[in-house]
Amino acid sequence: MTTVTGKEWEAPAAFGQERIWLADQMDPGSPVFNLPCPFEITYVIEADAIEAALAALAERHEALRTSLRVVDGALRQVVHAEITPDIRVHDLRGLPEEERRARTLDHILSANSEPIPTDRAPMWRVVAVRTDDARWVVCFVVHHAVFDASSAVILQKEMARLCAAAAARAGEDGEPIAPAGLAGAAGLPELPIQYADFAAWQRDRIGDEATAGQVEYWRTRLAGLPAVHSLPTDRPRPARLGYAGDEIRFTVPEGVRERATALGRRSGATPFMVFLAAYVALLSRLSGEDDTVVGVTMSGRELPEVTGLIGMFVNQLVVRVDAGGDPTFADLLGRVRATLLDAMENGRVPFQAVVEAVAPQRDPGTQPLYQIGFNYIPDSGIEPIPYTTSKDDIAFDLTTGTSRLLYRTDLFDPETAEAFVARYLRVLDAGVADPATAIGDLPLVDGAERAALLAASTGEPLAPRAATALRMVEEQVARTPDAVAVVAGDRRLTYAELDEAAGRVAERLRGSGAGPESLVAVCAEPCLDLLPALLGVWKAGAGYVPVDPAYPADRVAYMLGDSGAGLVLTQKHLLDTVRKALRSGADSEVLAIDEPAEWPASSGTAGDASTPDAVAYVIYTSGSTGTPKGVAVEHGSVAAYLGWAGATYPGLAGQALLHSPISFDLTVTALFGPLTVGGSVRLAALDDEPVGDAAGLATFLKVTPSHLALLAALPDRVAPEADVVLGGEALPADAVAAFRRRHPGVAVINEYGPTEATVGCVLARVAPGEDLPVDRAGSVPIGRPAPGVAAYVLDGGLRPVPTGVVGELYVAGPQVTRGYLNRPGATAAAYLPCPFGPAGARMYRTGDLARRRADGILEYIGRADDQIKLHGYRIEPGEIETALRAQPGVRDAAVSVREDTVEGKRLVAYLVGEPEPASGAVTVDVDAVDGALTAALPAHMVPSAYVLLDTLPLTANGKLDHAALPAPVAAPGESEYVEPRTAAEELVAEVFAELLGVEKIGATDDFFELGGNSLLAIRAIARIRGQIEIDIPVRGLFSYTTVADLAAEIERRLSEDLDQLSDEDVERMLASEGDGTS
Amino acid sequence: MTDEQYVVVRNDEEQYSIWPAGRTLPAGWHDAGFGGSKQECLDHIETVWTDMRPLSLRQGG
Repeated sequence: MTTVTGKEWEAPAAFGQERIWLADQMDPGSPVFNLPCPFEITYVIEADAIEAALAALAERHEALRTSLRVVDGALRQVVHAEITPDIRVHDLRGLPEEERRARTLDHILSANSEPIPTDRAPMWRVVAVRTDDARWVVCFVVHHAVFDASSAVILQKEMARLCAAAAARAGEDGEPIAPAGLAGAAGLPELPIQYADFAAWQRDRIGDEATAGQVEYWRTRLAGLPAVHSLPTDRPRPARLGYAGDEIRFTVPEGVRERATALGRRSGATPFMVFLAAYVALLSRLSGEDDTVVGVTMSGRELPEVTGLIGMFVNQLVVRVDAGGDPTFADLLGRVRATLLDAMENGRVPFQAVVEAVAPQRDPGTQPLYQIGFNYIPDSGIEPIPYTTSKDDIAFDLTTGTSRLLYRTDLFDPETAEAFVARYLRVLDAGVADPATAIGDLPLVDGAERAALLAASTGEPLAPRAATALRMVEEQVARTPDAVAVVAGDRRLTYAELDEAAGRVAERLRGSGAGPESLVAVCAEPCLDLLPALLGVWKAGAGYVPVDPAYPADRVAYMLGDSGAGLVLTQKHLLDTVRKALRSGADSEVLAIDEPAEWPASSGTAGDASTPDAVAYVIYTSGSTGTPKGVAVEHGSVAAYLGWAGATYPGLAGQALLHSPISFDLTVTALFGPLTVGGSVRLAALDDEPVGDAAGLATFLKVTPSHLALLAALPDRVAPEADVVLGGEALPADAVAAFRRRHPGVAVINEYGPTEATVGCVLARVAPGEDLPVDRAGSVPIGRPAPGVAAYVLDGGLRPVPTGVVGELYVAGPQVTRGYLNRPGATAAAYLPCPFGPAGARMYRTGDLARRRADGILEYIGRADDQIKLHGYRIEPGEIETALRAQPGVRDAAVSVREDTVEGKRLVAYLVGEPEPASGAVTVDVDAVDGALTAALPAHMVPSAYVLLDTLPLTANGKLDHAALPAPVAAPGESEYVEPRTAAEELVAEVFAELLGVEKIGATDDFFELGGNSLLAIRAIARIRGQIEIDIPVRGLFSYTTVADLAAEIERRLSEDLDQLSDEDVERMLASEGDGTS
Repeated sequence: MTDEQYVVVRNDEEQYSIWPAGRTLPAGWHDAGFGGSKQECLDHIETVWTDMRPLSLRQGG
C-alpha cells in the first residue's frame, strides 16, 4: 500500500451526507446518528487478526476513511489515506456467564452512546469483546453520514470473510498480520467505484431535465404541507430539536402479517403498503387531521455499481396521503399505493434537495417536511442494542421478527408510545380482517378501554331534590322564613318577605296572561326588587328573559322582539328606554318593578305553577357570527344544576356576591343557589366599597378568569374560607396561583359549561392547600362531569376518542336544555341523538375541543372552529400567554393571530404591564420579553409584534374581547430599509449581502425571505465564524433569521465568552484590537 | 365534508335532529323519512318542527 501519512483528498459531499450533517448540527453532541452494527465470531481468532480485517475493510471502502468538512461554505467529504481507528478490545474470558453478558452490553452501550465527531476520520469505532476462546462479540459503531442499513449487511458479510482470512494467515507464520491483500485472500471482488464517485455522479445529475421534473413534482405535491403533524404530544414542543429518545419493541402477530400479505396480493399492493395504510389510518384518527405525512426510507441503491459499497445511500421519501372522507381501509390502501408509487417514481431527487425546493426556512425545533417515520425492513432483524435517541418524533421500524417504535422523549411518555403500538396493531388487525371497514370505524380502543372511557364520561348520580328550582326555594322559605335572603345596599329582604313579594308579582303577571310557556322579559339593573320579580315570573309558571339595559338599543329591541315576550318588567327610570325599544306594533305590557303601585297586596293564593319541563328562562348567547340565539332552559335543568351546586359549594349557604348582569347564565349560581340552601344574595358591583365589616365579605363568588386581574387590584371581596367559582373561559393557572396566595383558605372551582347545558356541567374543585392542577397549555383542567352529567369526547363520527386524544366535547343529561327559541334548524344541528344515554336522549355539541387524561380529568383545548393556524403550524395561544405572563413586569397577556397587518397574517401579543410599586409607572421591556420567548418557545409560537395595553378589553360578560384588540401599529420603518446599527449588524449584513447577491441589506431583513436556504445558511455561519472568533452553531441562523436577531445573538455569545475570560485575556484582546488589525 | 349525507330523525318527544346516513340510529330515535345534505336536512326540520315543546308538555298543557 503506498500511502503518505496525512494524505487526503476531497470531494463534494453527497446530498444524504449533507442532510445528516445538517440535522446533526441541530443537536450537536447527540449520538442520534450512531448506527450500531453488531456481529459475532465463533472460532479462535486473536485481536490483531480482527484489527487487520477491519483495516482491510476500511481500505476497500473509502467511506470508512472519510470525514466531513465545510470548505468555503460548502460541505465536502475528505477521504484519508490513513486512519487510526478506535478499537476497544475487552477480554472477559473466565468471568461468570451472567457478568460477561452484562459487561459486554455495557461496553457496547457506552461505545454507542458516545457521539462520533464528523470532522475526523474514521467516523466509526469498534468494541470487540472476547467472551470465550472461540467467541467474540463485536460491535461496529458508525456515523450515519457514511453508513446505512444495507451497509450493515455488506459489513457483516465482508467481515466474516476477512476475519476468516486473517485468522488463517495468523496460523501461517508468527508475523503481525498485514491487511494488504487480505481482501483478495478473502475472495472479495474489487469495488468498481467508490462513494465519492457516487456523490459526484449524484451532483452531476441534479441539474438534468428529468431530475428537474421530479423536483417540480415534489414542489407541487408538497405545497401547503402541514409544517408539523397534529398528533397529540404529552408535552409542548421545545424550542430546540433534541434527539433524546426511547423505544418500544413489539411483534406483529404472524396471522396478521399473513393476512396483510394476502390483502396486498389481492389489491396489487406490497405488504409494506398495507402496513403503511394502517399507520396512516392510525395517524389520521389520533391527530384528527386528514392530511397525513409520513417519511419512508428507500435504499437509494438503484445503480448496480453501488450494490456492494459501504456508504450513505438511503433516501427519504415524503408520503403525503389524504385520509379524508372516511374511506374504507381498502380505499385508503389504494391511496397509499398510488401515493407511494408516485413518490418512488420521483424518488431520484435527494431528500435534501426536496427540502430546499419546498421549505428552505425551517423551524429549528421541527424536522423539515415530516416528523413521523415508517420503515419496513422485513428481512433484517432489529439490533439487540436498545436505542436512546430518535431522529423522528415517532417512527416505526417494522420487521417480520421483532419490530420497534422509536419516539422522542421530549414529546412523548412511554405509556403513550405503548398505547400507540397497541392501537396500531388493533387498527391493522381489523383493517386486514375486513378491508371494507371505514377507517373511522377501525377500533382504536378495546372493549375494556371503551367501557372505562364511558364510565369516566359520566358524573356521580344526581341526589334527588325538588323538581324545580322554585320549589327548592319555597322549601327553604318554609325552613328559614326570617333569615336574610337578599341584600342590596342597606336594604334587605327575609325569605318570607321575598316569597310574599314574589307572590304579588305572580298574581299580577298571571292577571296579564303569564303562565307556563309564556315569556316575561326582565330589563332591569341589579336591585332589591329583582329577585321577587324573577321568582314571581316562575310562580306564575312563566319563564323570564333577562335583557341587560346597558345593551345598545338595537340589541334590546332585537331580544324583546325575538323572544316574543308579551310582558316586560323594568325599572321606573328605564321605562322610556324600554318603550322606545319595543317600537311599533308590539303591544307588550311594560311594568316597573320598583313602582309599588303596580304590585297590589297578594291574595296569598299565588301557588306554584312551575313544572319541570316548562321553560324557566331564555338566555341569549352572543355567538361570534350571526344573530344572537335565545337558549330555552327548562325548570328541571335549572333544578338539576342547583341541586348539585348547593351540595358542592358550601359557600352558597353564606353570602353570595352577585356582581354581573343576569343576562349571562354565569350568574344563575349566585342568583338562585343561595336561596336553595339558606344563604343570601348580595347585589353589588365587584368594585363597590364593601360594607364595613367582615360580614360584608362574600362566602361565594363567581367570576370569569379575566376578572381575576381586577380582583387582584381591589381590597378583599371574599371571606377567608369562601368558594370562588371561575367560569366562562380557559382558566390560566398562574392567575389562579396568585389569587390563592392571597386567599389560601379559599376553595377554587373551575366550572365549565355552555348556556345550552345549563350554567355549568364539568368542574374541577381545588381545595385549600391542594396542589393546583395545570395542563400543558398552562390552564387549570376543567375536571370531571358534574353529578347527573355525561360529558363525552368524540371524534367527527361521534365515536369516543381514546384517552389523551383531542376530540369534541358533547354533554348529555338533565342539564341539556330544550334548544334555541324558535330555531328548529339550529337546534337540530347542535342537539344530537345520544348513542350512549337512555333511549331518545339528546346530547349537546359544545363546539369545544377537549381531551380526557388517563386519570379521567378533562382538559379544555379550545374552540373547534377557532383553531389558530399560522404558516401551517397549529398555534396554542394558552401556552404563549402563559410564557408571556411569566415574564417580569407582565401582569396579563393575550395573543391573537391578525390578518389585518401590512405583513399579512401574523401572531400579535398584547401585554398589560405590572405597575412598579414605588413609582406606579408601567413599563414592559418588550425586547427582554421577546428574547425570553424566543429562547423558550418554538419559533412559530413567538409573536412577531407586541402591543402594550393598559388593560385587556373585556366583553360585557367578562371574557376577553378579541374583536376589541387593536391592530399593531407598524414600528417605524419596519418594512423599510434600516441601516445596520452595530458592528455586529454590519458584519452580518455584509455576509448576507455577499452570499445572497443582494446589494443592500438592512438590519430588519430576513435571510430566508431574501432567498437564503440551508446551504447558504451553513456558508453564512462559516463566514461569520471565520471573521470573528465565536462559537455560534449553524442552527443559529435558523433560530435568528434577521440581521438584527442574529447580530444580537452574536453579541450575546461574545459577552458570554467575555465573562469567562480572565482580566488578562480581555486586556490582551483589547490590545490586539487596538493594533487595528481588523 | 359538504357532500356527506344525513337523515332527519325524531325521538318520542317529537324532538328533531340529524344523523349521518347509513349509521346505526341510537335507541329511541326514528327515521323521519327525509335525507339529504346537512343543510337540506336542517332546512327541512325548519319547516316541520313547528312546535318545539316536548310532546309530553304539549299533551299535559
